[in-house]
Amino acid sequence: MSTASATSRHEDHVEGRSLLQDAARRFRHHPTGILGLAIIVFFVAITILAPVLRPVDPLKINLRDRMLPPTWTMSQQELEQKQLHRWSFPFGTDVQGRDMLVRVLYGGRISLRVGLEAVAMAALVGTILGLIAGFFGGWIDTGIVWFVDILLAFPGILLAIAIVAALGQSLLNALIAISITYVPVYIRIVRSVTLSLRESEYVQAARALGSRSVRIILAHVLPNGLSPLMVQLTLSIGTAILDVAALGFLGLGARPPTPEWGAMISDGFGRFRIAPWLSIVPGIAIFFSVVGFNLLGDAIRDVLDPRLKR
Amino acid sequence: MFAYFVRRLLGLLPVLFGVSLLIFTIPRVIGSDPARIMLGERASPESYQRLRTELGLDTPYFLNLKEARTRGIAGLFDAQYPTFVAHAVQGDLGKSIFSRIPVRDSLAHFFPATIELTLVAMFFAVVFGVPLGIVAALNRGTLVDTGFMFLALAGVSFPVFWLGIIMIYLFAVFLGWLPPSGRISPTLIFHSTTGFYLLDAIVQGRWGVLWNLLRHLVMPGIALGTIPLAIIVRMTRSSMLEVLGQDYIRTARAKGVERRAVINKHALRNALLPVITVIGLSFGQLLSGAILTETVFAWPGIGRFVYDAISSRDYPIIQGGVLFIAIMFVLVNMLVDLSYAFIDPRIQYT
Amino acid sequence: MKRLAIVVAAALLALSGAAWAQTLVYGESGLPVSLDLPQDGNSLTVQYQIAEPLVGFQPGSSELRPLLATSWEANADATQWTFHLREGVTFHDGTPFNAEAVKFNFDRWNHRDNPYAFPDQKNFAAWTYIFAAFYGEEGYLLEKVEALDDTTVRFDLTSPVGFFPALVASSYFGIQSPAAVKAAGVDYGTPGVGAVGTGPFKFQEWVQGDHVTVVRNDAYWGDKAKVERIVFRGIESPATRLAELEAGTLDIAVNLSPDDLQAVESNSDLRRATAEANLSIGYIGFHQANKPFDDLRVRQAVAYAIDQKAIVDAFWSGLGTPAAEFIPPGLIGRAGYDIYPYDPEKAKQLLADAGFPNGFQTEFWYMPVSRPYFPSPKDIAEAVAGYLSEVGIQAELRTEDWGIYLTEYDEGKFPMFMLGWNADYADPNNFIYTFFSPTEIKNGFGWADANADEVVKLLGDARKASSETERVTYYEQADKIIYDQVPAMPVVYPTTLHATRTNIDGFLPNPLGVTSVQLNEVTKN
Repeated sequence: MSTASATSRHEDHVEGRSLLQDAARRFRHHPTGILGLAIIVFFVAITILAPVLRPVDPLKINLRDRMLPPTWTMSQQELEQKQLHRWSFPFGTDVQGRDMLVRVLYGGRISLRVGLEAVAMAALVGTILGLIAGFFGGWIDTGIVWFVDILLAFPGILLAIAIVAALGQSLLNALIAISITYVPVYIRIVRSVTLSLRESEYVQAARALGSRSVRIILAHVLPNGLSPLMVQLTLSIGTAILDVAALGFLGLGARPPTPEWGAMISDGFGRFRIAPWLSIVPGIAIFFSVVGFNLLGDAIRDVLDPRLKR
Repeated sequence: MFAYFVRRLLGLLPVLFGVSLLIFTIPRVIGSDPARIMLGERASPESYQRLRTELGLDTPYFLNLKEARTRGIAGLFDAQYPTFVAHAVQGDLGKSIFSRIPVRDSLAHFFPATIELTLVAMFFAVVFGVPLGIVAALNRGTLVDTGFMFLALAGVSFPVFWLGIIMIYLFAVFLGWLPPSGRISPTLIFHSTTGFYLLDAIVQGRWGVLWNLLRHLVMPGIALGTIPLAIIVRMTRSSMLEVLGQDYIRTARAKGVERRAVINKHALRNALLPVITVIGLSFGQLLSGAILTETVFAWPGIGRFVYDAISSRDYPIIQGGVLFIAIMFVLVNMLVDLSYAFIDPRIQYT
Repeated sequence: MKRLAIVVAAALLALSGAAWAQTLVYGESGLPVSLDLPQDGNSLTVQYQIAEPLVGFQPGSSELRPLLATSWEANADATQWTFHLREGVTFHDGTPFNAEAVKFNFDRWNHRDNPYAFPDQKNFAAWTYIFAAFYGEEGYLLEKVEALDDTTVRFDLTSPVGFFPALVASSYFGIQSPAAVKAAGVDYGTPGVGAVGTGPFKFQEWVQGDHVTVVRNDAYWGDKAKVERIVFRGIESPATRLAELEAGTLDIAVNLSPDDLQAVESNSDLRRATAEANLSIGYIGFHQANKPFDDLRVRQAVAYAIDQKAIVDAFWSGLGTPAAEFIPPGLIGRAGYDIYPYDPEKAKQLLADAGFPNGFQTEFWYMPVSRPYFPSPKDIAEAVAGYLSEVGIQAELRTEDWGIYLTEYDEGKFPMFMLGWNADYADPNNFIYTFFSPTEIKNGFGWADANADEVVKLLGDARKASSETERVTYYEQADKIIYDQVPAMPVVYPTTLHATRTNIDGFLPNPLGVTSVQLNEVTKN
């Protein structure tokens, strides 16, 4: 990092408020970004409102009605035979005869929440470690960089699989595992911002004036690192949701009978022949929610990245 | 340059040390017991204890203080981790606890299959990704651009395993166009000398076999290549747009040089530099994606091999396999890093 | 389009020049682990084509038939068994099969200090399933093996076993060529070496992660194989195995999911291949060290709370029968009880009597692996937990890696758990004694009261009984105690689904599964 770029970041910070306002204004003119936001709001809303939208117990087992196709695809005769009406189970039922629609809704609570929390946790831990490494330097920095390099030596999903295998199957452990795989990237971002700022004139000046390290960091470094962090955050959430699903698919996520999208796909995998809706429905849910976060992430990058300002 | 290369290589040593420590520790934290797994559903306590001793599971993990008292340094290192490292350095990664096949042999056997799949996936991604990106950039803001960009976005938004399942049923079961899984039809008599089947089939002139291999590669290749494809489309487009906005391109256009010539001569070459970077970096991601893809398509590669070992808790395979993958991963990333020097003359290594 | 694909495929075959009509492709859930001392189904199936035990099974049945031994007899108290061997049989490597070869194999299995046992590299746990323990360890059964002459071999036992030929028939005990074992040493049975026996097929190649090929043994002593080669493929997911079978890239697919019965039967290219009934049981165990399962009423409540029939119908699709006893149908010693009926009201009443009017919380552990006795453990566990919650028992579903699972269930850490057993040989001893041996009754179920002692005593007496009628009475008495005391709840007697393409004939799974089925009679048209 040259001093020139540090100065420019410094200036960004000084006009921080206007930058954010500027970004918000530009976001309003970003149609795909708004679409992404709309998709996310839609998913969050329907999963939160699930008990209102469909007051059915997602855990209620009914072996008599197991693996029914979406009821609107059934013939009148079949419906009468089963004593169902056309919209009894719009997405069909699963292997336990549970309502797929309500399971997908509740599954969204798990998948979206874990995706968000894993990334948030990674960002928090990564930011703290990045700040420490960048600001204190020396053997602390060496140690943290070593740690990052070790984590980065493993393909992400392999590391997550190994961690869950070590900690045992549970949703919390899946969250921790995914979170750990995302930590290095945040450490790197924050560390490089901190490093470049540490030598900058105004931090040096603040130090000379007797400001304590912590205050300097909070006052100067964080706001400057916010923009790359925000971009990374939104883009990570989409992949984190996919990772949660992958772990669930491999049987390393939420414990049954908790509905989780990846585990639902895995339930349907062996039964695609006889009940394709079991895996198609949660797959589509994952797809659209990830699309939502990716659209939003792209948009945030567009509006925050000064290089594309022109 | 060479000195730099050596320095980078030496710099990997502490990382590999940490990696080996992590690999050794994790399975032991699990508390899983290979002796118990080997013995199965019913086993007597005596045979269990005896097997533990025989497998060396009763020695300490890191340092053997008890032995050190009587045998000194040699006794101190008579523990599981030092033994593992000492053997690994000599290329001995132990044997599978179930099959007794040396892990090194298995890795040598499975690695070419993964490389082959990875290269095919990358080929697919580049062959479709670069032209799509260019077309999107040249038609910026049109419906074509929006459509391609949405496809690229969709590509990174699918769960890979889900895509795999859908493809198997659609193309193999319902339509019957492609084989559902595996690397080659087992009824074909074919002997590979290098482990790279495609290469061997071509060298031996076995065109029927080659066709069979390619048919097996289509679905896993697409499933694995989708994410890099999407990334390459996006990267090519944005890089192309950036170059097209540069002054020298504008100048060329202003001077009346034909649009096609500008694109071919000036824009493409410069735009593809960052794309090559992305391709290199994607190799690492492909290794990661290969674990899921190989599992879904029963592809006999290293990802599935290691994943199966994690499921069955075959310690030596987990240790050796993950160590190997990590080394490959680190090396590939380093080579990609170094290759910039050749591609981009502005970067200098001292 | 399909026709085009077939034409293209045919053309390609012509190009590659493979003799494929004569190749049988057999899909299992995995490739063999080892062809020496095999212990898992995938390995056993392959090894059974290469190396034969002394005694085999009638096609599609668990009745014994002569294989490498032509006849056998016991002394009066069944402690000494003499086997007469088939003459003129040679191993695939040309060395002769004789009494010394039999002795070599059994000594190598029984004695941990045998120079070819390699105890620090190989562990033959299956030996202890059948022969209780290795030579010299507590409770070992096989005292010594003697070659009386070239074709006669005698086994001396430490205690009487009336069904000894059934033990020897277990598919673990294929006779290997001593010369080959000695030559390859510890590497015997690995991909580079393979195995050498007397069977209808010879080992040809094993490509790791891909396939194992065996070829017809033209010098076989019995009916020579109808197909030229068999290629064994390992495909983990039953759904993918079925997909391969439907695509015609497999000829035989074993251990399919019961869910797929309809898919198999509705496809005119496929044919179901199931045994009459499998000697197999899946059960839900209680460990009485965990309260409140020490209370009989609580165990009974669980049995009444679960709609066993609905669960079996749902998850075995007609390929299973609800189980009431720990001896499966087809074996002697069954008392003939009915299952505990589905009666949630009675379950609630029993819980209330036991002091749990509002139920209680517990853990229910399900297996992380699929076994024929529980093809989809997680789904079955979810259904069971669903029924339990109806009567107020909140069972948290847990699982662990298989190794830990087997350790911890035996340490009594699981209040409720799933487990099961597939027969190694067709005798009640292989079931009821496996579950309720003196150590298992204590470790596996934490069951230690007068009833448990009585069961242990009865089962011990049954093992030593000289007449079958006597054994039957002991088993029936033990069976009654177990039925009344519910130390565990038998869930199902499953029938495992296998399928072939319709052009395949002569594939007959037997009640022990597919691991002891020779494929020399299988034809491909």
